[in-house]
Amino acid sequence: MTSPEHPLPPALHAPSPHTPATLPGWRLERASHGRLDFIDSTGQRHGDVDVLRAFPVSAPAGPVVIVATDGAELAWIDPLSDLDAPLRGLLETSLSQREFLPVIERIESVSDGEPMEWSVVTDRGPRWFTVAHIDDIVYAPDGSVSITDSVGVRYAIPQLSRLDSRSRRLLDRLD
Amino acid sequence: MSALKSRIASPSAGASNGSLSPGAGDRFELESGEKVVASCRFDLDANLRFTDGSIVLTDRRLMADPPASADGGPAFDGSPRSWRLDPETTIDVHLRSAVGRIELAQQGRVVARWLFTPARAKGVHALEDAFDARVHGQTPQSRDTEADTDTDADTDTDEQPESGAPAGGKSLSEDEPAASGMGTSWRALFRVLAFARPHASMAILGIFLTLASTVATLVPPYLTMPLVDSVLIPKQAGEPIPFAHVWWYLGGLALAATAAWLLSWARSWTLAWVSERIAADLRVKTYAHMQTLSLDFFSGKRTGDLMSRVGSDTDRINIFLSVNVIEFASNVMLVVLTAVVLIWINPWLALVTLAPFPLVVWLVYAVRTGLRRGFARASVAWADMTSVLADTIPGIRVVKAFAQESREVARFSDSNDRVLDANDRVNVVWAFFGPLVSLFSEIGLLVVWAAGAWMVFSGSVTVGMLTAFLTYISRFYGRIESMIHMVPATQRAATSAQRIFDILDCQPTVAEAARPINPGRVRGRIEISNLHFRYGAREILHGIDLTIEPGEMIGLVGTSGSGKSTLANLVCRFYDPSSGSIKIDGNDLRDLSITDYRRNLGCVLQEPFLFFGTIAENIAYGCPTDATSDPDELRQRIVAAARAAGAHEFILAQPLAYDSRVGERGGSLSGGERQRLSIARALLVDPRILVLDEATSAVDAETEAIIQAAIDRLVAGRTTIAIAHRLSTLRRANRLVVLDHGRIAEMGTHDDLLAAEGAYARLYHAQQKAAEEAAAGV
Repeated sequence: MTSPEHPLPPALHAPSPHTPATLPGWRLERASHGRLDFIDSTGQRHGDVDVLRAFPVSAPAGPVVIVATDGAELAWIDPLSDLDAPLRGLLETSLSQREFLPVIERIESVSDGEPMEWSVVTDRGPRWFTVAHIDDIVYAPDGSVSITDSVGVRYAIPQLSRLDSRSRRLLDRLD
Repeated sequence: MSALKSRIASPSAGASNGSLSPGAGDRFELESGEKVVASCRFDLDANLRFTDGSIVLTDRRLMADPPASADGGPAFDGSPRSWRLDPETTIDVHLRSAVGRIELAQQGRVVARWLFTPARAKGVHALEDAFDARVHGQTPQSRDTEADTDTDADTDTDEQPESGAPAGGKSLSEDEPAASGMGTSWRALFRVLAFARPHASMAILGIFLTLASTVATLVPPYLTMPLVDSVLIPKQAGEPIPFAHVWWYLGGLALAATAAWLLSWARSWTLAWVSERIAADLRVKTYAHMQTLSLDFFSGKRTGDLMSRVGSDTDRINIFLSVNVIEFASNVMLVVLTAVVLIWINPWLALVTLAPFPLVVWLVYAVRTGLRRGFARASVAWADMTSVLADTIPGIRVVKAFAQESREVARFSDSNDRVLDANDRVNVVWAFFGPLVSLFSEIGLLVVWAAGAWMVFSGSVTVGMLTAFLTYISRFYGRIESMIHMVPATQRAATSAQRIFDILDCQPTVAEAARPINPGRVRGRIEISNLHFRYGAREILHGIDLTIEPGEMIGLVGTSGSGKSTLANLVCRFYDPSSGSIKIDGNDLRDLSITDYRRNLGCVLQEPFLFFGTIAENIAYGCPTDATSDPDELRQRIVAAARAAGAHEFILAQPLAYDSRVGERGGSLSGGERQRLSIARALLVDPRILVLDEATSAVDAETEAIIQAAIDRLVAGRTTIAIAHRLSTLRRANRLVVLDHGRIAEMGTHDDLLAAEGAYARLYHAQQKAAEEAAAGV
């Protein structure tokens, strides 16, 4: 996941002794290879936990969950801002890798038929991917578009109306 | 219990004694003070020939005319007979096939027998119920006066017991859309006009523009007349006419052409705007009406057929209105106006020109009949083909599992061939007809040339007039040819309109009360008394009496077909009982507002259905979504429901957690996972009354344990009716009700029923044994 030279302290204690007010009863530790260990209120250690958002699309700032490797829920954090800064930072770093969401800035071409072959320019550079089905392109009522490619990577268009007209035409043609 | 009094009490029967004449051949003399309780008709005689007879039950006698359709007692002389009612008199109705039997016995000896077809079953059963109630007091719990009036009311609602209508209500004419004759189809097309009313101003504007553009197209030929006669011919004859005169006419021609173009552009746009809206209104109205219809409507319909009614049929009407009607209207105007102009210019030449016209009209009429059936057949064939698709695509797993792909392709190809065949037949008529009209127009031109030339020679018309006539006439016949396209288009649109109105005319069999009571949030006491339910002629429930206290969990046990699901469906009010009643907190279910009542209801069914959308949206499906509700709070409730349903953790494992999309049937989720989502969905609406219909039967034992825990949380504090094959899932039930062939066989707690050593005990031990054998086998 995280590279070892990631600029973060090697360990972070959730209930920092100086800030007992936000004491959640558990803490997180950075383990080797950027993994996170979760130590629950009884002191039991869960290695390599996963941090994720419960509503990544509909409430991207909403509740965050810490999940053990076996899928069991360890902690429910809602909202994240209740936590003290170091712990929050640790969680946000972990989330940011999970929430890899390139923003499409321009559509170069979209092939006809399914699967569609897309060639786009994102905020993270140019990209070529395939979309298996038209249902994988989801138009939200707020004007944003979410596209999931055939390997599960999501791409976002935050505001369709702000896309250039050629890209919009390419997208329009798909319906 | 004067259930059928209203029908018997024809005007002559106002007095309590006097002769009743409910129908031809019925001659019943009532004694003084004698009251009619029930009556029914039978329709077969002893030799199974159709007849019409009736049986009347009064408070003291049973009378029949003719006395008996099968001779079961003393010889009859053809006059009505009657039998005194006493406790030794019994009536027995037997209906297993197309012929039913009513037997009247006294002291155990059959004294009369009548035969009937299922068409009369409803009335016969009502009479039987009334008879048992009157003679043997078999209405359970010695019905009080209130119950009495109730029954009166509900028998009134299922009037016409003898109309032969099955419980399903009015059925759709699916097989032969035009079977009921062209009249109804054409009328359906006119009914479409009612949908134009909201857009009347635009429609009128469109008609005005049609008229204007037609007039504009008539101007150019008229201008050619003076151009030829007073400019070109004089010029040729050597008169000094300046070319400027030509410019004037050319300018006029150009102006007319431009005006015609602009006006018909505006006309097309206006009328297309209107027809697009008519079709959209039709679509929404049809779909909205379909949503109000009761379940039995959908169980009798093929999905593909309904989809094509809402989709393609409305679209066909749209195209008809926006293309064909506009064309037709402008053609008719053009033909009429052309005729007027021609007559005005020269009546004699006009007469010759227009002579073939009636012949063409007759031809159109003749062909219409031929095409009519062809198009109806084509439309049915098309619907059949769609149905094959709607049938096999959802069932693709079964198709593949049994390696029946080629058979399905063959099935599709067969129905495709039928479409081809139907279209071929239409095209044969069509292909012959089109060129025939062309021939007529050629002949028409020839006639005009001949008559015109002759008239020019005799000096009665000018060359300019003849030119104008020829220009007009070529347009005229061109229009007739395109008018003929109107015939099949109208035919098709009328068929489509009929198919849509078939749906719109369907009445829900479960109807909202005239003054529905809003139950608000119910306590959940369910009183079921003397509940009967018939589907068609078959009686599924024969008098169920059951009271469920608020918060009580009832387990319904019984073999398939014992009526468990029917009982649950009646509590959900998917159907209405044939007789008897279900009361919720003391109110008859039929008096409650259907949607307000169902807000109190939670259902977890054997096959959990997930809609296309995210997991969160599916869980929140039963929640009224209004803009005022706080999305954060809703999300918290969704998560709480998912946790209680044991769904939270597998949801978190999905790629987008609660925002992951699930498909039509749940996509990547397993059966147990989908079931837990549907439990969460039921939990979120916090129902007062919960119906669990085989909620765990489709999952393995381990998943069942998780689901069972979820269900235990769901059940707490709610009135619950749980149906299960596996008795282990009903361990939390307060009482178990064992149904057998539509009757309650046993009722009690698990321990009581085991001790009673009845049907339940046998079922339980059989399952135990099977479970042990399975365990030993592993």
